[in-house]
Amino acid sequence: MSAEPVGPVTVMVVDDHPLWRDAVERDLTEAGFAVVAVAADGRQTLARFPAARPGVVLLDLQIPAPDGVAVTAELVRLDPSVRVLILSASGEHADVLAAVKAGAAGYLVKSASREELLDAVRRVARGEPVFTPGLAGLVLGEFQRLSETPDPGEPHLTDRESEVLKLVAKGLSYRQIAERLVLSHRTVQNHVQNTLRKLQMHNRVELTRYAIEHGLDAE
Amino acid sequence: MLRSVSTTPSAAVAVENRLFGALAVLRAVVLLNAVGLNIYRAGNFERPAAGAACVAVMIAWTGFTTWAYAGPRRRTALLLGADLAVAVALLLATPVVKGPGFQASVPGYWVIGALLAWAIHYRVIGGLIAGTVLAVTDLVVRPEVGQAEYGHAFLLVIGGPIVGYMCASLQRLAAERDRAERSAAAAEERARLARAVHDGVLQVLALVQRRGKELGGEAAELGVLADRQERQLRALIQAQDAVDSTGPGSVDLVTELVGLERDHRVTVSTPGTPVALPVATAREIVAATRSCLENVERHVGPQAPAWVLLQAFPDRLELSVRDDGPGIPAGRLDEAAAQGRLGVTGSIRGRITDLGGTAELTTGPFGTEWEFVLPRPPSH
Repeated sequence: MSAEPVGPVTVMVVDDHPLWRDAVERDLTEAGFAVVAVAADGRQTLARFPAARPGVVLLDLQIPAPDGVAVTAELVRLDPSVRVLILSASGEHADVLAAVKAGAAGYLVKSASREELLDAVRRVARGEPVFTPGLAGLVLGEFQRLSETPDPGEPHLTDRESEVLKLVAKGLSYRQIAERLVLSHRTVQNHVQNTLRKLQMHNRVELTRYAIEHGLDAE
Repeated sequence: MLRSVSTTPSAAVAVENRLFGALAVLRAVVLLNAVGLNIYRAGNFERPAAGAACVAVMIAWTGFTTWAYAGPRRRTALLLGADLAVAVALLLATPVVKGPGFQASVPGYWVIGALLAWAIHYRVIGGLIAGTVLAVTDLVVRPEVGQAEYGHAFLLVIGGPIVGYMCASLQRLAAERDRAERSAAAAEERARLARAVHDGVLQVLALVQRRGKELGGEAAELGVLADRQERQLRALIQAQDAVDSTGPGSVDLVTELVGLERDHRVTVSTPGTPVALPVATAREIVAATRSCLENVERHVGPQAPAWVLLQAFPDRLELSVRDDGPGIPAGRLDEAAAQGRLGVTGSIRGRITDLGGTAELTTGPFGTEWEFVLPRPPSH
């Protein structure tokens, strides 16, 4: 177990539905987290984030412009150490993948229970990825899709990584995976984190390549 | 009887406009032909001055009708009546101008301008009426009716309705295309609105189930209901997204599988892109998966969690259904098979092998897992 950071974990809650925002804020406060800012749309989020400097941002994907994916990318650019946890109501696959590629540390559907949510916030605050079986399935599918493209520069998973990810997608806990593959809990976690990092790295490479090709790096 | 087209006005008018545009060109061609022939045969005229007057009428009338038919509002019964009357009058004038023993009528093929105008505007009936009137007039003015004269008359009578029929068909097709385009645009807009509405509903449902669970009692029941509705709504949204990406006769396996998710009990993990399969194949796979999940419910417990994972490779699909239960006691399956009771296990395996795939069952203290490997149709 890594040591808990000094003081309460600071959280920013972004959601355009006041009911939901208030409920989540209350839950977090009761559980001992410090909610340092709230926002209802993308513009407010980007305006309030620099002053609030939260450790974790709980972000709804479907917010008024700029949307959750764009906000994730911008927050991670402003502060690479921030942990963005995506909470999505509709679980739309393409958006969730895009947000994770843009740098989100995890994803939960809104129907997750209070305990699941609090646990997820604790885990991302500690630097662990929050990998639901659903997200693992999406990431596996994305790597499969990338491997079908002819470009040899596309990232791919090692056999071990895809084995671990597959077990996550099948609903096994890290502990169960560690037992089954005779690995340490920490190693399993590293494998999972590596898959995300590869996807995010690839995304940054793509963006840079796009920028160079379109002359956006001139300034 | 002679009504203008009653379907979508814009599409019908657009078709008419195009056809009248083409007819204007045709009118110019048949006018040149008629003028040329009349000049060539100028010696046949008994009354050359009257003949010249007839040709002048044709030139003037062609010019006038080209302008007049260009405007949809000017295509009145009066105009069409006058058009046909001019053609008939020129035919009737022929024996007077050329003498009773004439060979070719003064207007000649020029009369098809009026015939086609009637066919375009009044369709089959119009073509038939104009064709009959022109054919009868042509036959009446002739001193004698031979094979050639009869042939021309026959062509006039059948040509009119055929063009009329084709015009009506074109108008119907254009109207259908318009309707299809409009409904596609409307569907797109509806989908966009639905997305916004659904997101709000999903938020509230998620909140209700969360709070319900915490409050317990009757509120918990409400929470369970909200949860079920939320899953269904989410499955519907996915189905909507997949409609565009799968062709006719196929469905998206991802959408079908997501429909199996249940109240935090069944988790379905899939790739983020649709997996199109023939309807029958997808239904069989979903049925086999559902049997596996029902088995979990029966043998592990009604609240036992289960996980479904679909992986799509270019040549095959891999699907697993897993539970955390105590596993199937050793020997129980063999025992059942020996007694001739293949039961659920047999039917699950049967469904998958019928699709050309394999079904493996692993069981132990860690739980039970089915793994299906199915060939992927090359249509992908």
